[in-house]
Amino acid sequence: MRDSLILEVKDLTKRFGGVTAISRCSLALEPRRIYGLIGPNGSGKTTLFNLITGLEHRDEGEVRFKGERIDGLKPHQIALRGIGRTFQIIRIFPELTALENLLVVARSTGGAARRRALELLAFVKLDRLKGEYAGNLSYGQQKLLEFTRVLILDPELILLDEPAAGVNRTLLNDLLEAIRGLKEQGKTVVIVEHDMKVVMGLSEKLFVLDYGEKIAEGPPEAIQNDERVVEAYFGR
Amino acid sequence: MKPLTWGIGLLVLAALAIMPFFVTSYIVSFTIQTFMWVALAGSWNLISGFTGYVSFGHVAFFGTGAYTGALLISKAGWPWLPAGLAGSVTAAALALLIGYPCLRLKGPYFAIAMLGLNEVVRALISYFEDFTGGGSGISLPPILSIEPVYYAMGLSAVSVTLLTYVIITSQFGLRLLSIREDEIAAEAMGINTARLKLYAFLLSAVFPGIVGGFYAWYASHIEPLGTFPLLTTITMIIMCLFGGKGTVWGPVLGAVLLSVFQELVWARFLFVHQALFGALIVAVVLLLPKGILGVLQERYRLPRAI
Repeated sequence: MRDSLILEVKDLTKRFGGVTAISRCSLALEPRRIYGLIGPNGSGKTTLFNLITGLEHRDEGEVRFKGERIDGLKPHQIALRGIGRTFQIIRIFPELTALENLLVVARSTGGAARRRALELLAFVKLDRLKGEYAGNLSYGQQKLLEFTRVLILDPELILLDEPAAGVNRTLLNDLLEAIRGLKEQGKTVVIVEHDMKVVMGLSEKLFVLDYGEKIAEGPPEAIQNDERVVEAYFGR
Repeated sequence: MKPLTWGIGLLVLAALAIMPFFVTSYIVSFTIQTFMWVALAGSWNLISGFTGYVSFGHVAFFGTGAYTGALLISKAGWPWLPAGLAGSVTAAALALLIGYPCLRLKGPYFAIAMLGLNEVVRALISYFEDFTGGGSGISLPPILSIEPVYYAMGLSAVSVTLLTYVIITSQFGLRLLSIREDEIAAEAMGINTARLKLYAFLLSAVFPGIVGGFYAWYASHIEPLGTFPLLTTITMIIMCLFGGKGTVWGPVLGAVLLSVFQELVWARFLFVHQALFGALIVAVVLLLPKGILGVLQERYRLPRAI
């Protein structure tokens, strides 16, 4: 066990009935880096996120966060230890306002939390919509709101499940800038993303899943030319 | 709340406080019942309107409080006021006992479990005949004046409404709403949903227990069938939905309007009033699923706490 790792996933396996969604998967994440997690549809990317954040229970293997076992903890305990996430299918609180969506998860309640929430909304240009029900926002705006909701939790490790999908081009650059900024703030980020340009541009290192198995890992340039990866995406 | 809202509220309270001196005892009785409904619908709102966990057995807390009050008065010789208040303790204890396992159930399963709870409590009370009087119930001495009950019920209704206001303007309240909106997301964002649901459930049982205790004294007689009817739970639900769930004034508005409606219809169409009430339920669910205040809120961007 290396203490310098922020997250270590070891031989993780998850089965749903007869389907093995994640198969003996191991990852080691160093702090203050941006990682990409890619793979064809159904390769187990979201399941891996769910296992790390406690929304699914592993069948075998272990997950360590900063050296401590977290598999078996409840999702809220894992979140409070410092792992935040967004969802592939947006999970905002539709009948709360945009501002309330952030205040509800803030760890403190006073004026400081409110200022931080307004600051985050302004950052994704949602400040004028702060009193609007989140359910009335556009898809892209909801995606950004979900992103800021993770930030107000101030986690050390942030798992983003397709953060760019549906976000318009002008805001996309801001979003990518923000994700890079997280690294500067000392955060570790893992991104699941189908837009290869986005994920290749952001990530320092990629993990590739196929049928629940990690088939490759390495810097973007190496992954792009990896035979097994090309095969997984395009077939033989 | 704006100063104007506070002002109107205080005026209404003052009017209600002096009302018993100027009106017939029929009106006082009617208002006592309405206060009771405000407290019950408001309490149901705390668990079901806020967290979305629909309790179909809330009358169990009312009935538990009623039996607690009646037993303390008849067997232990307690005065009615502390006996009624003690109903909150047994109701909350029951909520703790049943809430811990049942709040893990989602959606309709929780609703069904609560329905079962009510039947179990009623059956137990009927069974322990020596203690509870079984099917024939408990008779209490007739009350000589209803005004004290009027104020006790009135204060209960006001307390539930104030409690709702305090909760809705707090982060605790927002977190309860987030459970209703998306429990998995709330969990993933560090919110301990299991604990918060239990707190809300306990709070939602306290006042039904108290007004149940007061009701036993007011009615002078309670028996299992009349104390645990499913219709009472359904009435709480409809009042809350009609006025607007998850708001402060929704349950108050719903309880007042439907109490008046029931009273008028009952007086005029004795034989069809149940049918008319049923038709109203269908109409509310179909036409006003968010309730009066829910619709106004959406249209005029009103805060939840108005």
